[in-house]
Amino acid sequence: MANVLIDGLKERISNAIKINQSIGIILPGTNYPDLIQALFEHIQNNPEEAWVYITVTKPYENLISQFEFLKDAKNIKFVDCISRAAGITKASDNCVFIESPTMLEKLSLEIINIFKEVDENTKKYLVIDSLTNLIIYNDPDIVTEFFYYIINRTRTKDIHTISLAIEEEELDKYLNRLIYLNDKILKVRDSFI
Amino acid sequence: MEVTELSKNELCNTGMEELDVMLGGGIPTGSTVLVVGSSGSGKTTLAMQFLINGAKQGERGVFFTITEPLFKLTKNMEGFEFYDKKLIESGMVNLIDLRIISERLGLDTEKYTVEDASALLDILRDIADELNVKRLIIDSITALCYRLQTPEMIRDFIFKLGSSLAAMKCTTLLTSEVPPRKFQYSQYNIEEFISDGILFLGDIERKGDLIRTFQIVKMRGAAHSRTKTAMSISSKSGIELMPLLKSRE
Repeated sequence: MANVLIDGLKERISNAIKINQSIGIILPGTNYPDLIQALFEHIQNNPEEAWVYITVTKPYENLISQFEFLKDAKNIKFVDCISRAAGITKASDNCVFIESPTMLEKLSLEIINIFKEVDENTKKYLVIDSLTNLIIYNDPDIVTEFFYYIINRTRTKDIHTISLAIEEEELDKYLNRLIYLNDKILKVRDSFI
Repeated sequence: MEVTELSKNELCNTGMEELDVMLGGGIPTGSTVLVVGSSGSGKTTLAMQFLINGAKQGERGVFFTITEPLFKLTKNMEGFEFYDKKLIESGMVNLIDLRIISERLGLDTEKYTVEDASALLDILRDIADELNVKRLIIDSITALCYRLQTPEMIRDFIFKLGSSLAAMKCTTLLTSEVPPRKFQYSQYNIEEFISDGILFLGDIERKGDLIRTFQIVKMRGAAHSRTKTAMSISSKSGIELMPLLKSRE
């Protein structure tokens, strides 16, 4: 059953990102593992694309140990916003570590710098995992300003973005405002399983 | 004040992309600019990057330090990708310890008289002239002024230094140390009046973390930005500027 869900997610993401510059994915916490599995499998299956994955949810090391195939993937770079703040000091060539998730300017600089090194003709994608966690570490107003900046900057550089928002009973009012800045919203529901 | 647009060769390109954009192309050639900030704010790094970038464009430069020995300065700079040892070896970038010069001149290294200051000024000018430098750094003017005994001496020293370097079309950065979190430009409240430009390196606190900031307070003759931006220092790129998120915390 899980494979059906993951395949379904992969297809929905893949179709949505092809025709939209930015998509927001609203999902319940229980579906988070399936969603990131779907995303990473899509990345693995599309080596001609360039991906930058911002993690504010799980440390890079944790993601790598869970999805070992990412270790050798050449088409994805990570920006980890939480490891340094948690005292994890391990370094990696495939990951840029930001000192703290409050350093949003540094985060936007790193995103742009990574994409600068990607060939102009390569399709570029950015994942923000997740807006929910950025709001935990920052005031909502500043996350809103950051998100506006990123969405506009990536649009001018033809970078597609996928931003995740974890929904429990209902979506936080700030997240609700933010997520609808995207061109397309995908809602993942438990009931799909 | 009306600002006329300066041509490319009247501007001294810093080689830091975002900074040059903020400056409207670069620092007007021959200007004396204060680089203000507290300890650890990135003054020395910015000054060295300016010097190295100039050397890479064929402009010879000299870095006078009075705050740290040369071996320490170079050791700190070796971690940056912009730093190129070959530029030092080839003489495109010259590093000079002012304390050693003072000693050789037989000056009291802690306290300068009017004559000492004048002798030092002559030496600085002679070195800049002899090497035909287009970029000059004094790190820091605060430490140098500390050795000058009166505000008049400080004023006279900076003014004479600035005018002779401007005549040589040499662009000068003077680093100025200020206490943290204070919006003041210099220790002696004189340096800023003699300078053509002020670059302010500060920080803001966000949730207990310090975000580096950068602002051009003044730049005579340039239509410059006055926006406060965020600043990053990394071994890969040195100084980089980016828009500062300004939402109220």
